[in-house]
Amino acid sequence: MSTDLPPQAYAVALASFPHMSIHRLGALLRHHPPCEAYSVAVGELRPSGLIQRVLADVDVHAAWRRAGRSSLLTEAWERCTRLGVQVLLHGSADYPLLLIDDPLPPPVVFAKGDLGLLSGRRAGIVGTRNATAAGRDTATTLGRQLADADVHVVSGLARGIDGCAHRGALQTGGAGRPIAVVASGHDVVYPREHHALWASVAEQGLLLSEAPPGTPPEAYRFPMRNRVIAALSEIVVVVESREQGGSLITVNEAIERNVPLMAVPGGVHNRAATGTNQLIRDGAGIVVDVTDVLVALAMDHRRSTGAPTDPRQRPRGADLDVYESCSGEPRTIDGLALVCSMSLVDAAMSVARLEQNGWIQQSDGWFETVGSPLR
Amino acid sequence: MLAAVRSATFLGIEGRPVTVEVHVSTGLPGFQIVGLPDEACRESRDRVRAAVMSSGLPWPSCRMTVNLAPSNQRKGGSGLDLAIAIGLLIANGEIPGDAVTDLGFVGELGLDGSLRAVAGVAPMVGALDDVTAVVPRASFREAMAISPGRVRVAAYLREVIDALNGIEPWPDEPDDQFVDDDPPIPDLADVRGQATARKALEVAAAGGHHLLLVGPPGSGKTMLAQRLPGLLPPLTPSLALEATMVHSAAGVRLPAVGMIRRAPFRAPHHSSSMVSLVGGGTSNLRPGEISLAHAGVLFLDELGEFSPMVLDGLRQPLEEGVIRVARARASATLPARFLLVAATNPCPCGGGPPGSCDCDDGARLRYLRRLSGPLLDRFDLRVGVARPGVDDLLQSGGGECTAVAAARVATARRAAIDLRGMLNSEIPASHLDILAPLQPTARLMLRTELERDRLTGRGYHRIRRVARTLADLDLESDLSAAVGEQHVALALQLRVRLRVSLREQVA
Repeated sequence: MSTDLPPQAYAVALASFPHMSIHRLGALLRHHPPCEAYSVAVGELRPSGLIQRVLADVDVHAAWRRAGRSSLLTEAWERCTRLGVQVLLHGSADYPLLLIDDPLPPPVVFAKGDLGLLSGRRAGIVGTRNATAAGRDTATTLGRQLADADVHVVSGLARGIDGCAHRGALQTGGAGRPIAVVASGHDVVYPREHHALWASVAEQGLLLSEAPPGTPPEAYRFPMRNRVIAALSEIVVVVESREQGGSLITVNEAIERNVPLMAVPGGVHNRAATGTNQLIRDGAGIVVDVTDVLVALAMDHRRSTGAPTDPRQRPRGADLDVYESCSGEPRTIDGLALVCSMSLVDAAMSVARLEQNGWIQQSDGWFETVGSPLR
Repeated sequence: MLAAVRSATFLGIEGRPVTVEVHVSTGLPGFQIVGLPDEACRESRDRVRAAVMSSGLPWPSCRMTVNLAPSNQRKGGSGLDLAIAIGLLIANGEIPGDAVTDLGFVGELGLDGSLRAVAGVAPMVGALDDVTAVVPRASFREAMAISPGRVRVAAYLREVIDALNGIEPWPDEPDDQFVDDDPPIPDLADVRGQATARKALEVAAAGGHHLLLVGPPGSGKTMLAQRLPGLLPPLTPSLALEATMVHSAAGVRLPAVGMIRRAPFRAPHHSSSMVSLVGGGTSNLRPGEISLAHAGVLFLDELGEFSPMVLDGLRQPLEEGVIRVARARASATLPARFLLVAATNPCPCGGGPPGSCDCDDGARLRYLRRLSGPLLDRFDLRVGVARPGVDDLLQSGGGECTAVAAARVATARRAAIDLRGMLNSEIPASHLDILAPLQPTARLMLRTELERDRLTGRGYHRIRRVARTLADLDLESDLSAAVGEQHVALALQLRVRLRVSLREQVA
């Protein structure tokens, strides 16, 4: 065992061990300093009586012993230093204050970016991965406007709502920045199409993970990640969610931590809004625009820089009917022609005008409204 | 004794005359067929022997050699049975040799001496155009369609022998001329709602535009596709002849009138092999599904489930309108100018309105990638089909019926041929400005679409062709006028963007 390694290196190695859960890791690091905990885990030192239970599983202990004989200790640390990932141990001075008293604090946090952001105002934006165009648009706008109002946007960098919220937060010159909590290691980008976004968040915001570099995005890590999102948020806004889904795990974690919940209402026929509508029925605050969130954060909402006039040309006459019929739920061109009782050609002309002016958007033959709603 | 009898075989859809030469001599009794017969043809030895004996004639015990000339071409199938039997009987002196000088024989023999229909009667009779063809009774209409008035029929070998010997007259021709057993084409009136998809069918029929229907299961994609042949005009005589030849050569049942007169509809299953689709396989190079769909509609349901190799095989025929099937021994050019209609789900789970899909972007991408590329590019029309709403289903009385739409289609097709000399889907990109000019407003609309990356360069040309067809179909617009804004707007709606992922779209 080399002696020139800092205590963090041993914690990183322990976190990289096979079958290492945060409960096991937490127990080891609570009862021993990192270096000692490592020796205990690889069987070189007798464990203190309280944590013998942790090592009772013969298979796990054997796997750890094998890992102790490999070069994992130096490699895992080298990887962290090479990637510029900070390693924060629970109980150390640099560990985020917000997480210290959490019911289930992460024993080790891997961070990249500006940790100072955690002392700013923070709102979580979460939602489904299968979002509608309208939902993605809402998430982007909320992210941007919150950042404009100097609120940091906490989310999970997933597909759909999460990614859009971060993207929105990056689009502005405001002081608000994205704070992302991811489930995989810092060097394992998931989903892969978020490669550029992932890098910009780490560069301009803060990227946190409980998993050491190299950890693949295993399914069980996502619910755990959601609890960190809830713990870091002063308020959690659900933009779109199905009746069941990952974002509702964040919701439950937020309730457990007394974090206020808000939800964006959706059309009653919109499957992607069933979860959020249920939340509102259960008492969550309603978010129609960024002001609602700023009021809930007790911030001076008049500072919000929402565009006073919409630059888009206002729809008129039949176009207005068409716009309003797709604002509640996605519609096909047939549906629009039927609901607005107009001919197919007129409907086609109408949607062409609306689409050109940026009021609606089509995908797979379905029209949805985008941008801030018509007032 | 020596005899020569006229008959024919076929390769692809082309008939080839064959002379069946029979030589009978003394020697060890035996029966040989030479001249490159295939297995079915070689087996005719046993059928001929049984049929001759069943017809009450003795089987000569001498050495018999049958030569199928020209002897360097491979001959397949059982259509030479009758000619071989007649040749043998002439060589044995049972029939006078001069009785067959202006006759050709086509047909398979049963062991009881009956005459059976074979595949390819139409091309074979076509190759015997200088003589009167003797065909099985069941093939009468098929033969008459090719060689009217010069066909004799028989149900038994005995009848042929008696007629050649002058003992009996030739049997009467079957008299079922007025039976029309074409199955009725389903009517568009049965379709509820689906205004866009209906319009797309009309445009596909009027302009010859290939059509891709995208929608969840149960939205009626197959139902719509089946109604397309009804919108196409009846086949012209030359197309009808080609289609009849193809169906005959493939051994597909022909209508009772013997001619294919309506646009065929073929819907091969997605497990179909390459050969079954493009043709080949037997020594006759049997026409495949794409040739059977010639002058009609080829419908590929679940396009993504077809093997990529099979779909690649469609590209050349889509471009050229023919398929050249080449094998080591023979090659044939088969007609294959069809209207391609394909159906697919938007994603593995079937899709639906945005937000209701269960698939992640990766799965969607993989699913659509199987279709993407050159084939997806050939579809001028890409239409989303949604499940009909409750109101649509309960609505009393369907929409417009096929006849009304077909009349508009016929007018539009005539206009396209008269004014531009081709169907709108065939207008080359370089001629679009001359043959299908745009009004300034329409040009502006397309410009915006291009600038916002909602349309690719190739898509731009396809939209213009479709818009031209929409203008032709529009009874209110002047046929010689430029394409208007409203036609371009509708054409854009007939080409939906497929959401592959957040960023990537197939435009």
